[in-house]
Amino acid sequence: MKNPMSKRIWREIKGEAGKYIVIFLFMTAIIGVVSGFLIADESLKTAYNESFEKYNIEDGNFRLANEADKDLIAKIEENGVKVYNNFYWQEKIEGGDKKLRIFPDRKEVNKTSLWEGDIPSGTGEIALDRVFAQNNKYKIGDKITMKGKEFEIVGLIALPDYSALYEDVTDFMFDSINFGVSVLSDEGIKDLDSANIFYSYSFKYNDPPKEHDSKEAIDMGNDFLEKLRAITPLEDYVPACSNIAINFSGSDLGRDRIFFIFMLYILVAIISFIFAVTTSNTIAKEATVIGTLRASGYTKAELIRHYMAAPIIVILIAALVGNVLGYTVLKGFMAQMYLDSYSLITYKTLINVSAFVDTTLVPIAILVGINLIMLIRKLSLSPLKFIRRDLKRKQRKKAFKLNTKIGIMTRFRLRVLFQNIPNYITLFFGIFFANVIIVFCLMLNPIIEELEKGTVDNMLAANQYVLRMPAQTKEESAEKYSMVDLEIRKNDHTDEVSVFGIENNSRYFHEKLDGEGVYISTPYAEKYGVEKGDTITLSKKYSDKEYKFKVAGIYEYPSSLTVFAQREYLNEVMDVDKEYFTGYLSSSKITDIDERLIATVITKDDLTKTTRQLKVSMGNMVDAFVVVGVAVFVLVIYMLAKVVIEKNTQSISIAKILGYNKREISGVYIRATTIVTIVSLIISIPVVDVSLKAAWRALMMSYSGWMNMSVPITVYAEAIGLGVVTYLIVAFFLSKKANKVPMDEALKNVE
Amino acid sequence: MFIQISGIKKSFGSGESRTDVLKGIDIDIEKGEFCVLLGPSGSGKSTLLNIIGGIDSADEGYISINGEKTADMNEKSLTMYRRKHLGYIFQMYNLIPNLNIKENIEVGAYLSDSPLDVDDILKTLGLYEHRHKLPNQLSGGQQQRTAIGRAIVKNPDILLCDEPTGALDYNTSKEILQLIETVNQKYNSTIIMVTHNDAIKNMADRVVKLRDGVIRKNYINETKTKAADLDW
Repeated sequence: MKNPMSKRIWREIKGEAGKYIVIFLFMTAIIGVVSGFLIADESLKTAYNESFEKYNIEDGNFRLANEADKDLIAKIEENGVKVYNNFYWQEKIEGGDKKLRIFPDRKEVNKTSLWEGDIPSGTGEIALDRVFAQNNKYKIGDKITMKGKEFEIVGLIALPDYSALYEDVTDFMFDSINFGVSVLSDEGIKDLDSANIFYSYSFKYNDPPKEHDSKEAIDMGNDFLEKLRAITPLEDYVPACSNIAINFSGSDLGRDRIFFIFMLYILVAIISFIFAVTTSNTIAKEATVIGTLRASGYTKAELIRHYMAAPIIVILIAALVGNVLGYTVLKGFMAQMYLDSYSLITYKTLINVSAFVDTTLVPIAILVGINLIMLIRKLSLSPLKFIRRDLKRKQRKKAFKLNTKIGIMTRFRLRVLFQNIPNYITLFFGIFFANVIIVFCLMLNPIIEELEKGTVDNMLAANQYVLRMPAQTKEESAEKYSMVDLEIRKNDHTDEVSVFGIENNSRYFHEKLDGEGVYISTPYAEKYGVEKGDTITLSKKYSDKEYKFKVAGIYEYPSSLTVFAQREYLNEVMDVDKEYFTGYLSSSKITDIDERLIATVITKDDLTKTTRQLKVSMGNMVDAFVVVGVAVFVLVIYMLAKVVIEKNTQSISIAKILGYNKREISGVYIRATTIVTIVSLIISIPVVDVSLKAAWRALMMSYSGWMNMSVPITVYAEAIGLGVVTYLIVAFFLSKKANKVPMDEALKNVE
Repeated sequence: MFIQISGIKKSFGSGESRTDVLKGIDIDIEKGEFCVLLGPSGSGKSTLLNIIGGIDSADEGYISINGEKTADMNEKSLTMYRRKHLGYIFQMYNLIPNLNIKENIEVGAYLSDSPLDVDDILKTLGLYEHRHKLPNQLSGGQQQRTAIGRAIVKNPDILLCDEPTGALDYNTSKEILQLIETVNQKYNSTIIMVTHNDAIKNMADRVVKLRDGVIRKNYINETKTKAADLDW
């Protein structure tokens, strides 16, 4: 015989439809978003990994000053590679500063991935990078003009060697707003200005490394560079393993996975506690029935299964619907987060078993675990205790003593508060977690803006020229510097650090550099806790060679992990000529150096690329997460405060019979929750601050670079304000619920 | 002897606040016997019933049912003992509010390997036409009948009734007592009923009068009256 108790599960869900629908919708949305993210992330990552073969991504490229003849190519190919033409042109789009790198449709290496429209087939047609087009609101059918010639956009594409739109691999950050790539037809290419051609060549190893970003790949890249240098002078050389335009997006994919899963688990834990509190309330309400059932021979296990059924059914359906939404609607939305930033190739949605485990099985396990502990504890009381409604584990001999000088209404309120301590503890954690999400989202923009401002205010010079090879200038404001990229190795983490060799008495560096003493940038000091007088150890990339420097001071330079040394001293340490330099710092533009000798010019615009790109990448996500935070807040407060009212239905009813008015009743049963909510909001802020600082530090330690977490007080005020406003809305509905309690409730079920 | 209650002692509290509720109770009850435990409030009759039902334990003495001592059973065995042998009826009906009348009786039937026919029970109890109603749509007497149905549907060997008419009016109480009498006769269930209503002793086979935790009288009722003829 089927347990007839199971018939009441659906009725219970129907009876508490409001609660279950809200939790169902919330969990569906969260599971859907996380599932969508994991599916999109995995699908994109797989597509990215497969693109190396599918689109035949180069193993590296080099650039020559002139076109190589057949003999030179043959000579290069003798070194275990196949060389392909990878010529490109670079033009500005008229009517702005947007730069476009133009390629023919490459058929052998770095093949084009078509997102929409067509590959250009005639002159006057162009296919633009999808992200660049999106950021600049170009659509198929629009026209752009370069060098007075008009091109119609016929397609939106992605080039696999530009999945992150870095103009140069030495750039601080890609800039998908001002730099894009494009494809012209072979006829279209012929019409381009030959003065703007770059003789770039891609190469593929005949015997490629097993992993494109492995140590083996790095060694092969270095070996080939040596051989290539011996054959021909180079303007540029980038092995694929060092090409961030190829690798950056791949390393970013999957990075947020832990964050999403962690957030899901925390939310599921909160929902599980809400279920535990509400089920505990149901058990208290049904104590005599439970006692009778137990006395009649129902086992604890049967009752546990019964009380566990409704939450599991709701979460299970939410997980299934969430997964369906994840695979359909939300996958696209979540993929778009990446696609808004990266020029990824087209992808196929893949069935992701681990996403199902993470979004369905683990949440159910969390729910079952938390509720099982609560139910085992609750139902371990004897049947007799249930029949007598004596659900306290330890019998309190006397009622909690309250000073009689305290007014009766306050004492009444305090009793309600003490009666509901488990609810209010859960409420505190719910508010804390909601605030973590809200404050985290609200603080991102100020942090980025602070970084941007600090970066601009503390730039070394308006123009920082990075040279491909030494060149002289007559520009008066120009000052030579040398620079080397070294590594900080701590435990398993490696961070890249730029070490600047600055002139004595530099006009661009405002501290006195004396001999062996070096200055470190503020991010370096903050990230690694280095202080003046300490000795730092930096390592040479891909080598065991170490360099020790004594820290003479901390220099305000928020944009990156940087070390400033005297140029002569740095050159000596690096064992290069004492006059060696790699570029110029200059307040004015340098006009007398051949552009081809300049690798890059770092200006204010370049230094703020990171922050600009962060704003673009995170914009929509931040708003979405604030909504999630508010939803958690509403859910937790409403569900738990509702239990307080339900627990006290009979008391509220009696109070009404005695003549207490609505305001007085709300004053007791709602104000207790109001006090706890406000106190939790205020207390949670320092806890949130400490937790976020720890989390931020851990996050930054896992990333390269550093952003200082300086949260303006207004962010916390905003979070509290948001909490108060949200609570007032919830309290309105709670008051309505308390007012609805009928007076005859007190006359029912009296034993 | 079907039920042997031997030397049962039970106290609550400790030190000065210690109250001896049962001070050594010995009763033997035959299979199919209708036993009434009579006594004023605080006499220990409900405590004794709970110990017999295995939902409370004695400090001393034992209860043996069909030769099996309840004190030797662990919690799981006690649950199985209640499941297989006992039916419980309380003063408050303790029905499941969101199950209808038939389903509430099925809750009892589920526990038995050979339950009685639920529809038959509904007809016997006069609840058949109300079977699709929820408990709160019925009168107190009808709700108590449902509780009886839930207890007897699993065809228990022993039916424990704790003041089953305590919350009911005179006529409804008599109806319920007739029903319990029918169950006793029809299914040969052993019935132990706790009551403070002196008149009910007249329908019992055995009457046990308790006061201050001791048995004042324990006798076989030779002049059994039908429940319908009771008056108080």
